Amino acid sequence: MQLGEGLAKQAMKRQRSVKQRALALAHGFILCIACLVVLIPLAYLVINSVKLPREFLTVPPTILPSAVTFEHYRDLFEDSKTLRHFRNSFTVTLWTTGITIICGTLAAYGLARMRLAAKILAGVTFVFLFIRFYPRVTTVIPYFLVMRELDLLDTVWAIIIGQLGITIPFVTWLMLVVFQDLPREIEEAAVVDGASVPQRFWRVVLPIVMPSVSAAAILTAFLSWNEFLIASSVARRKASVLSIAVAGFVSDKGIQWGPMAAMSVVMILPMIVFALFAQRYLIRGITFGAVKG
Amino acid sequence: MILFVVPAFIIVVAVQFYPLAYSAFLSVTDWVLTESQTPKGFVGLENFAKELSDETFRRSVRNSVYITGGALALQMTLGICLAYLTMGSSWRMRAIRTLLILPMVIAPVAAGTLWRILLNSRAGLVNHVLSVIGIKGPEWLAHPDWAIVSVILLDTWQWTPFVLLVVGAAIASIPDDLLEVAAIDGASRWQTFLYVELPLLMPLLLLTLVFRMLESLLSLDSIYSLTFGGPGYSTYTLTYYIYTLGLRSFNFGAAAASSWIFMVFASLSIGLVFWYQRRDW
Amino acid sequence: MKKAILFLLILTLLLPAGALAQDMPHAGAEVVTNFMQSGTYDVGAEQLEAGFEEATGIELEIVASPFVVLVQNNITDLATGTGEFDVISGDFWIGSVWGQMHPLDDFIERDMWGGSFIEGLTKQGPSAYFDGKRIGIPYSADAYGLIYRTDIFEEAGISADWETWDDFIAVLGELEMHLEGTDIAPNVFAFGASEQAAAIFLGMYDSYLVDADGNYALDHDEAIASLNQLKSLLDYNPEGATGLSIDEANSVFLTGKAATMICWVSFVRAAAQDPDASLVVDNWATATFPGPGFPFLSAWNLFISGYSENPEAAWEWIKYYITEDEAKRRFVELGVGSPFLSTYEDPELIEQYSHDFPAMVANLNRAETVPWIFAAFEVFFRHMSEFIIGAATAEETLEATLTDWAELEVPEGLVQSAMAQGQMQEG
Repeated sequence: MQLGEGLAKQAMKRQRSVKQRALALAHGFILCIACLVVLIPLAYLVINSVKLPREFLTVPPTILPSAVTFEHYRDLFEDSKTLRHFRNSFTVTLWTTGITIICGTLAAYGLARMRLAAKILAGVTFVFLFIRFYPRVTTVIPYFLVMRELDLLDTVWAIIIGQLGITIPFVTWLMLVVFQDLPREIEEAAVVDGASVPQRFWRVVLPIVMPSVSAAAILTAFLSWNEFLIASSVARRKASVLSIAVAGFVSDKGIQWGPMAAMSVVMILPMIVFALFAQRYLIRGITFGAVKG
Repeated sequence: MILFVVPAFIIVVAVQFYPLAYSAFLSVTDWVLTESQTPKGFVGLENFAKELSDETFRRSVRNSVYITGGALALQMTLGICLAYLTMGSSWRMRAIRTLLILPMVIAPVAAGTLWRILLNSRAGLVNHVLSVIGIKGPEWLAHPDWAIVSVILLDTWQWTPFVLLVVGAAIASIPDDLLEVAAIDGASRWQTFLYVELPLLMPLLLLTLVFRMLESLLSLDSIYSLTFGGPGYSTYTLTYYIYTLGLRSFNFGAAAASSWIFMVFASLSIGLVFWYQRRDW
Repeated sequence: MKKAILFLLILTLLLPAGALAQDMPHAGAEVVTNFMQSGTYDVGAEQLEAGFEEATGIELEIVASPFVVLVQNNITDLATGTGEFDVISGDFWIGSVWGQMHPLDDFIERDMWGGSFIEGLTKQGPSAYFDGKRIGIPYSADAYGLIYRTDIFEEAGISADWETWDDFIAVLGELEMHLEGTDIAPNVFAFGASEQAAAIFLGMYDSYLVDADGNYALDHDEAIASLNQLKSLLDYNPEGATGLSIDEANSVFLTGKAATMICWVSFVRAAAQDPDASLVVDNWATATFPGPGFPFLSAWNLFISGYSENPEAAWEWIKYYITEDEAKRRFVELGVGSPFLSTYEDPELIEQYSHDFPAMVANLNRAETVPWIFAAFEVFFRHMSEFIIGAATAEETLEATLTDWAELEVPEGLVQSAMAQGQMQEG
């Protein structure tokens, strides 16, 4: 009798382990597919960038090119403009991200601690978000005129200031939620010690919310690096950036696939490296403070 | 405290206020830059009335609804599933998560062009793969309905990572003891998700949803390089329509009016998030 | 010794400065010139930059922008009176700001400037005029063309001597019979590049584009007939032609899978003769673009902005960029269609392009531009694209186009251009 029960239990266990193994297998399979869906297009982009022009648009598609050519890359780097585009994109991304994080974080902290009536706080946030989501297409011409009056046309600052209108509201909103979740008791100890507001912010609050700040910075950098519309309407030559250069391979008579693929790879690469490096901050930092235990 | 807010306020409001106010002024003005160098005069709400009854405007709104609706449904579902499937802090899961967020960092212009070549009905990789497994792939970019599907696929490919990222982070921050309590109470994994985690995640999911919705409605670069709004008007979205009005036809009055119509909708969506968050404030 | 070197150095620096004062009346001036970022026109300009600056002492700044951004920049710049660019690259797409360009007649007359321009290109239309004054000079020329496989035609005993689309479609019918059982289509066209089909429509359509009141319009019966004829070409195209992009259509022809192709010849000319890229080397030729309409012309003009502070210096740049030698060089090295007859009469080039040049020049001579601003074109090609994919009938297409056109105004410069090219309804 007891022996029988033991056997039955064992059988059940085995059954469960089979089920678990099947589940694990399915789990792995799904993740594999997901990774492939992400990786194959990227790999194909890289392959395209070293393909001979005649191997584009063949039927069936040329997956493994018969010969590898670096002519697209060579052309790219022999062109002095590429370096300038790179430098400008870096400058724009760096400043936009820097200013956004400083202003956005400070503003969010201020708003969270000002003991504003809920309605006013909601009002301010709403105005910020309204500006964030207003279709830029409509404001680029007035914005162009403003920049002309300020004599900033074709400077990286015209691009940076334009992008700040998108990024600061977003970061302020994101950080506002984070600060609201931060228990005030943490700061109260510092108040007792006689710390001033800036000291409190710098020494006590900032270290705690650092992961969120990093996450906000990373998202801002992605956006700034890839932004096209504002850049293309105020930058001409000196301030031209990579996203404009990529679009330049689409002409009125067709697309130059090879050079465009090479340029895309060159443009994406720094962001991929950055994403790999910054990934753990991203995951830790974004919670929007919305989940509470 | 107020000093903390001032810099951001100055940059955002000062720099954006003029363009915004100007566009509000334009929305009640008759002004086509290619017809005259100065505004032709005040027309009241005529621009709005004209847009709302314009066949192309209506069609672009319809397209936007299909595209954004489809893309959101797909990326929210996929994003949440993938977030659960990549839970954990083993190096393998971390590596997979990193890999999965890569599409997000690609410039939309580049992503659109890349998918244009992938979805090419004859020379594209997608139909080639389909034909290998015995399916005759559709005319992705040349058929009106499939073109919409193509745009949805692109948006999903590029932005599911965002959902994965946000939801993944949120799941990780749910205290373990909550889940343990649920487990001790004999709740199944599915029940735990449904009754413990989902309610906790709800505000965040709503936030992500609204954020992604507005972003997706506003996306322009990727549609421009993937389908050019075509074939015909098939993937002409509201943003694309506004873009054509504003920067190709220079019909500022109409473009501004359409933008404000969009903002009424956007405001309602943002309001919804606020209403949901109010409990916290 | 050191001093001597220093002295020499100073001397060499001073010498050009001295020369400046004498032979370079515009030395020190700055000229900003823009081009489409295409790897052709802009590169051609960059190659000249150093030489021009040295020869004139003028500081040249070349701005290359993607096609759409270029049009947007030019219109914004002129319409808002910003004056960022001295020399502007454009054509009828920026017709709405032609009124703000600097007239060139005085310069041309004073310097007795000219060249062996293809006659048709000097007329109003291909060359931009406003209020009777010349404002633009073409530096490139490309007419919509038709190329065909000489070997297939010979084999089938068909000659490529059509004059109208009816003739041409009859030939396609013969080709279809001849090619039955092969995987070669009688014709290929990039129907999937929706903005391209307008070029065929214009070749078929033989009536006004602007009505007697100066509004965008089309003759009803002519337009319907042309739309239907346009669609009938699909019968002779490969399966799924409604999805073909320009590059794909070209590749269909280059891989020998089509007997004729309607295209921008400049886009395939070089590739078709490159054994690495083409299976039809020496087996193709350019033919007459059928009528009764006209071959659609792409001819970029250089303009001087009315807001330029240095129109004289700007004119120096135009003279430097648009020369017969440069046009020939740009044709050979970069594949840019030349506006000068001398390029097409160059003995060396004639030999190399005997299959291409005669018909090309004939097409260019007949070619016309359209009086459409972007908005007018956008409406037309999108509705036409709906028609091609079968989502609308010809009547619906025409009606929708006319409804949308009723909202648009034809800029003065384009009304004049339509009138000069006989595209205006007689009142």
